[in-house]
Amino acid sequence: MSTTTATERVAAPAAETASSRILRGLNRLPIHIALGLIALVWLLPTVGLLVTSFRPRTEIQSSGWWTTFGSLQLTLENYQQVLNAQGMGQAFINSLIIAVPSTLLPLLVCSLAAYAFSWLRFPFRDTIFLIIIALMMVPVQVAFLPVLQLFKTLSDGVSSVTGQPFVITQGYAGIWLAHTAFALPFGIFLLRNFFITLPKDLIEAARIDGSSTFGVFRTIVIPLSVPAIAAYGIFQFLWVWNDLLMALIFVGKNSNYPMTIQVTTLLGTYGTEWHLLAASAFILMVVPLAVFFSLQRYFVQGLLAGSVK
Amino acid sequence: MATVPQPIPTTATTTSPSPRRGLPSGVTALLFLLPALILLLVFLVYPVISTLRMSVDRGLGGNFSRFVGLDNYINVLQTPSFQTAIINNILWLIFYTSIVIFFGLVIAVVAMRVRYESIIKAVVFLPMAIAATALGVIWTFVYQLDPNIGLLNALLGVVGLGPVSWLGDPAWVNAALIAVGIWGSAGFATVILSAALKGISPEILEAARTDGANEFQIFWRIILPMVSLPISVLAVTLVVNVVKLFDIPYVMTQGGPGDASRVIALEFYKQDFSAGQFGKAAAVAVIMLVILIPVMIFNVRRFRSGSVV
Amino acid sequence: MAKSLRFMTLPIAAVMIVSACSSGGTPAPSAGGGTSAAPGGESAAPGGESAPAASGVTGATITVTSLWGGSEQEAFQKVLDDFKAKTGNTATYQAQRTDYATVLQSKITSGSPPDVAIMPGLGFLRQFARSGGIKKISDLGIDPASLEANYPPGILDPGKVDGELYGIMVKFNSKSTFWYRPDKLSAAGATVPKSFDDLKSLISTLQSKGSATPLALGAKDSWTLTDWFEEIYLRQNGPDAYKKLFSPDGDWTDPTVATALDAMKSVITNQNVPGGITGALGVAFTDGIAQAFGANPSADLYYEGGFVGGIATGQVNKSLEIGKTIDWFDFPAFGGSGDTAAEIGGDEIAALTTNPGVKEFIQYMTTVDSGTTWAKTGAIISPVKAVGADAYPNDLAKKEAAQVAGASAVVYDGSDTLPAGAPDMGAMLQKVIQGQDTAGLLSTFNSAVKQAWSDEK
Repeated sequence: MSTTTATERVAAPAAETASSRILRGLNRLPIHIALGLIALVWLLPTVGLLVTSFRPRTEIQSSGWWTTFGSLQLTLENYQQVLNAQGMGQAFINSLIIAVPSTLLPLLVCSLAAYAFSWLRFPFRDTIFLIIIALMMVPVQVAFLPVLQLFKTLSDGVSSVTGQPFVITQGYAGIWLAHTAFALPFGIFLLRNFFITLPKDLIEAARIDGSSTFGVFRTIVIPLSVPAIAAYGIFQFLWVWNDLLMALIFVGKNSNYPMTIQVTTLLGTYGTEWHLLAASAFILMVVPLAVFFSLQRYFVQGLLAGSVK
Repeated sequence: MATVPQPIPTTATTTSPSPRRGLPSGVTALLFLLPALILLLVFLVYPVISTLRMSVDRGLGGNFSRFVGLDNYINVLQTPSFQTAIINNILWLIFYTSIVIFFGLVIAVVAMRVRYESIIKAVVFLPMAIAATALGVIWTFVYQLDPNIGLLNALLGVVGLGPVSWLGDPAWVNAALIAVGIWGSAGFATVILSAALKGISPEILEAARTDGANEFQIFWRIILPMVSLPISVLAVTLVVNVVKLFDIPYVMTQGGPGDASRVIALEFYKQDFSAGQFGKAAAVAVIMLVILIPVMIFNVRRFRSGSVV
Repeated sequence: MAKSLRFMTLPIAAVMIVSACSSGGTPAPSAGGGTSAAPGGESAAPGGESAPAASGVTGATITVTSLWGGSEQEAFQKVLDDFKAKTGNTATYQAQRTDYATVLQSKITSGSPPDVAIMPGLGFLRQFARSGGIKKISDLGIDPASLEANYPPGILDPGKVDGELYGIMVKFNSKSTFWYRPDKLSAAGATVPKSFDDLKSLISTLQSKGSATPLALGAKDSWTLTDWFEEIYLRQNGPDAYKKLFSPDGDWTDPTVATALDAMKSVITNQNVPGGITGALGVAFTDGIAQAFGANPSADLYYEGGFVGGIATGQVNKSLEIGKTIDWFDFPAFGGSGDTAAEIGGDEIAALTTNPGVKEFIQYMTTVDSGTTWAKTGAIISPVKAVGADAYPNDLAKKEAAQVAGASAVVYDGSDTLPAGAPDMGAMLQKVIQGQDTAGLLSTFNSAVKQAWSDEK
């Protein structure tokens, strides 16, 4: 291939369009190779897991997944075992019930706060903002005991008022609020850094036209920020969907458990059931991937798009 | 709060409050911030305060009645495994952060030039959709010692090398885990940076090309400065990730062999928090917060400098 | 959490203390056995054929939580079903596979604890007991003394905190089982080793017959190393010294500790272990099983507890044949008082509430009914004395039960006895086998363990 192009380069210097196209193709060959390599490195381990998820348990520890292509000993049993497990369907619904509000709520709350931090003037603005970003550092675990104690006080209060036994973590409210709260520092940080890059003229023009503060937020800031908000929404959704620890703590009733927890209950004490781990990993991935691909077009403009104007 | 003298207006983009609308600007801002502030107070600020309190108590098994002064801090800082953890976190900080940004930038820049850009981005983003435990399973298989099962050692075997005990050799284990971290996070960086690159107007690049700049000059002189804000947002996020990093070592090595792959957050969770040593755990959490303060100050300074617009 | 996982049992292979007591299923003290514990209807008739029928409530529903999932959970469900049939109360199981102590602590804090938890690790048991998270057995109206007769001596001891009974062992596995390939040994003309020196010469015999690295090791899961050390220390120094080492009075700088580590390092060597020490440190517990019992084995011997059998035959390699390609021998002897002792790892049941049904459930779990039902699933070995050898569905399990029943003394897994806040013993041992300075490691470890014991009080 390189020889033909080399000859053509010499032979047809005049044929501008053809040769330049080929030249460009040649220039881009390293690009294609580099991207091909990257794609390989990023896909291969996952493909390995995918193939593994179709292999019988005893095969997994005796030969590499790449040898499967020779013998084609594949089975759907792992998937059947995971999907037919008791409560898995309900767990899937629970995952959605947990993840959707836990994505939308932070989007709303973060947008409001990020707008204030980027376009409104108020005392100690940067100090408060700094404190909020510093809160990104708080390991979620430190909140468990204090928050649960607070929940208990609150629950006991409600119980004594209504006369009905009430435990806040028995429903979904606890987990929604917890996910929302822990999403805030990063979400506010990200969206604020996007909002400050929105065109100032547009916002001032709207003000002059008599828009209220909220009006500017609703009619200018939000529409212009849809890509950033969507991108952040995807990240938040992925985190919530794949979360295990927070659900363990803040979902008190096991009929409300999401799939991440339900899947772990298929495993024995030593967690050696790799066939089930592999299959459930892909079952868990289906929804996030669907969300990603359906929102992917937003990435074309995407996060922080305005930041370099 | 509203009566406090206004701080210096810091961000260049601040708009003047609308004088004609009824609410004072501080109150309006407060309304926007209220949902976020309430959640943050309950789920983060209050726990942080009680963490500070817990960090000076023996705090064993949730019983906080034994004041021990700074004992927990001294204790933690003197633990050899904690010192190893700090060193490992520094390794992560240097290599993970820089290589993720490097990959993100290279993939974003290079992929822009090909028609299958969205496919490449989706491939690199794929690991984001994988739960941490599944990530651990995937890479544990890749790193298996037995070349019949472990992809990496199988490949090394083809060229007559190895096998290398990636997760068992103290010399390799951190590199092996950092590679997993990079693999998992490069998609995040790519998505953010790619979005930022899209924001650079093609005219600027065309103009530069017309002026005779080559692609490297364009990258260093034009693209890089224009994406410096997204890069710094990304860097802050990644640094926060590093300090809170816990699931990859937790799932793959438990910090071993010996203490070789310990990190601070793992130390916090495994050694202290899940062992009911809430006093020591709190001290580690406070240390984590303190470590991040310079990063936060840098971040806020950066936005104050006016380089944003 | 691996720390707490290590003493949990896997499927199948368990065995049980085959009740050495003569007549197989002798129902223990239904009416009069040993202690007169039946005042005012508080009849604890544990061990008896019929559970506490008359005295207990019926129609109650309680929740029980533990670490088991998958097939372990299915096996335990059979016990719960039997509980319902026998007492009319319902126990609902909640599997809690990860972050066990964290979640349990959280549930206690948020005011909705499960009624009963089956707990891994005595450090946690002590911690929850002292912080008031779990109830004394006597608080439930069960007289601890009435239970003694149902168990072999010493089985109830691990459940005691500050002299009070908080937890009762409901299942266990032997840790004194050394797994091997009978076919490979006979091919090499070798026999099962009796002493530790025999083990060393067996290894060289196997090496001379073409098995380069006969000793499989999964040292990435560092609890496999704590078990190695415990077995050697127990055999060299006897049960009393063993118990002392894993108590607040233990001295890790004592020369006996270094001696045991030297013995350990004399077989766990670069030459004997597949991939050398560095290799083994990257091999997980189950991958170690596969090294000896997988389809392409590179080793012939593997030391770990009785649960290895279930994983090896059920998951790693279904074509294994008990007695032909997989079996175990007693951990080799050193010629001391500890040679006939057995080490076990087990789970303790504890009550977190005193709700109706909890007492009935705890009592039921001490009966031969529950023990037999559970043992029949092949998932566990029951510590209840009256559970007969015939309850176990396979030979490996029967043999494991017989080993523990016939032991001169039974000790509990030492690393599970250490305080929850103790330094990571497995990580320390990983450094020891890497050849780091043993004396230095032990002295650091010693002071940290002492600190953890005193903190715990």
